[in-house]
Amino acid sequence: MLTWNLAFKNVTKAGLRTWLNVFILSFAFVLIIWTDGMYDGMSKQVIGDMVDNSIGGGQFWQSNYDPFDPFSLDDSHAEIPGNFQNLINTGKATPKLIRSCAMFPNGRVQSALLNGIDPEQNILNFPSSALKENGNGFIPALIGGRMAKNTGLTIGDIVTVRWRNVNGTFDAADVEIVNIFNTNVQAIDNGQLYIPLAKLQDMMEVSNEATIITLQKGIETIPAGSPSWQFKDHAYLLKDFYDYLDRKTVGSNIMYAILLGMALLAIFDTQVLAIFRRRKEMGTMMALGMTRGRVIRLFTLEGTMHGLLAIVLGAIYGIPILIWSASVGIGMPDTVDQTGLSLSTTLYPVYGVGLFFSTSLILFITVVIVSFLPTRKIAKLNPTDALRGKMS
Amino acid sequence: MTASELIVTKKLTKQYPIGGNFFTALREVDLCIDQCEFTGIVGPSGSGKTTLLNIIGALDAPTNGNAKVLGSEIGKMNHVEAAKLRNQYLGFIFQTYNLLPVYNVFENVEFPLLLQHIESSKRVDMVNKALEWVGLSEKAKSKPAQLSGGESQRVAIARAIVKQPKIVLADEPTANLDAQNSHHILKTMVTLNEELGTTFVFSTHDEKVISYLRRKIKLSDGEIVDDTIVN
Ligand SMILES: Nc1ncnc2c1ncn2[C@@H]1O[C@H](COP(=O)(O)OP(=O)(O)O)[C@@H](O)[C@H]1O
Ligand SMILES: [Mg+2]
Repeated sequence: MLTWNLAFKNVTKAGLRTWLNVFILSFAFVLIIWTDGMYDGMSKQVIGDMVDNSIGGGQFWQSNYDPFDPFSLDDSHAEIPGNFQNLINTGKATPKLIRSCAMFPNGRVQSALLNGIDPEQNILNFPSSALKENGNGFIPALIGGRMAKNTGLTIGDIVTVRWRNVNGTFDAADVEIVNIFNTNVQAIDNGQLYIPLAKLQDMMEVSNEATIITLQKGIETIPAGSPSWQFKDHAYLLKDFYDYLDRKTVGSNIMYAILLGMALLAIFDTQVLAIFRRRKEMGTMMALGMTRGRVIRLFTLEGTMHGLLAIVLGAIYGIPILIWSASVGIGMPDTVDQTGLSLSTTLYPVYGVGLFFSTSLILFITVVIVSFLPTRKIAKLNPTDALRGKMS
Repeated sequence: MTASELIVTKKLTKQYPIGGNFFTALREVDLCIDQCEFTGIVGPSGSGKTTLLNIIGALDAPTNGNAKVLGSEIGKMNHVEAAKLRNQYLGFIFQTYNLLPVYNVFENVEFPLLLQHIESSKRVDMVNKALEWVGLSEKAKSKPAQLSGGESQRVAIARAIVKQPKIVLADEPTANLDAQNSHHILKTMVTLNEELGTTFVFSTHDEKVISYLRRKIKLSDGEIVDDTIVN
């Protein structure tokens, strides 16, 4: 009880020193939560965009399909099985047929992938309905913003596309760019050309065949696959991104490390230095008859109170800031597009309850530890050394 | 040892480790200090005065020999017992005052009483009385930073005597004070010694202090070279 009273008295009497200390601690606290929130927000956004624009609730791949092997691509198609067709008919799945091609924008040649998609699909957040309009006899085609920039194509341009037909000889057709879409997901943009599924099936002289069946996001039951149609879940489809996140946690994100380091330094500085500066005070208290154990408890308790105050203060000014930045988002520099991630230009931090509590706990424990350890070290000295302010 | 002997040392030796060697700060000191004495350990800087006072104050332990304070042997106490002895029977006055900076004068003087779990109304009485003795009643609410050196040392004296200890140990209490303030606090301590019967042990090489002493124990290189009673 006496220790509590003394700690409370010391914390309240110290005035400015307490508030400075508490403010720095609370700042570190808010900063860590904010950084974590940015990090979580980035993951959520990337995964969300991937799900909405590309992978839905998971995909069935025709067994030959390998996105990293362009040579096997032209053999990667098969008849859509009946159970998938039922899902497609009820709007719970959508087929995609993929074919490699060469295109000739503005007199240059460029290899690309022809994607046959259903103009009526609602599974993916994708302007496929633009493929429905077809006024002037050309095959309607859709490309992404990056593809448009690389090829110099704009809406209304006609571009020749050449592919190998079933006999191994070349066929060609003209397509018209009817729309250009913007996406954060580079994989569905760079080198991709979208045309109606039925048209591509005609061009390849196949009927009702596809390469990929994408399921609706949140579908309750995954249909059974087969040797020629294999299911790829989110863990598989998002593996690259999860790998990236792993590399990041190992330390490739220097910014994050610096922020965390700064925060810890601030905690270390305020707590440890404050305690070392007070070693004469500790020596005096011991000379006045305070036991070692009580000195340690007293100073650790003071540090603990600082930690609690910091959490309260951090909540008072931090929560509005965090909520505000989560609602307006944080603008990201253009360079993030070069990371190859599906990062949008504005990031919205996401703060989970778990994040809040775990960060509070980590910070709190850190404060208690960095209060306890130096105090114990000083209290273990002879009081004479502590009195002299000597440290060895 | 008789009942009136508060401090008795026998062949008290203190060595400090220095590198791989030892430095002997006190060499076989035999000493006996009685109740109500107003005694000074006198000697040049480095002669071992602080070391001796610290051992008597149970802040440090002897290397060899022994020191008995109020019947308890310093070298055999654990740190909890030492803290208890300091808290109940000893008062300290330091050269640099060592007031607790965030507390005001009243709270500084009150601190040792808190450690003794003395109840609040009694504490207030005791603190006020101690502040009266040192003539600082009107500064009770001041913070240490607002006090002069002389006032600070008077607060330290009040803090040392508030619990009416058996012994007050004062390590060069006037070293940072001017002549007028030195005489002021010395007169205060003489009065307390006479009225309360508190034993005072000083360490000093200040002539002003020496002129008030009733017994001078001269220390040189860790040994007692002279011990005179003044009439
Ligand atoms: N902790 C210590 N470690 C090593 N040497 C010390 C220590 N404390 C004191 N000494 C040495 O012991 C001698 C006596 O010191 P001290 O008792 O402080 O003398 P005084 O108070 O008379 O000036 C000095 O030479 C001092 O350097
Ligand atoms: Mg000294």
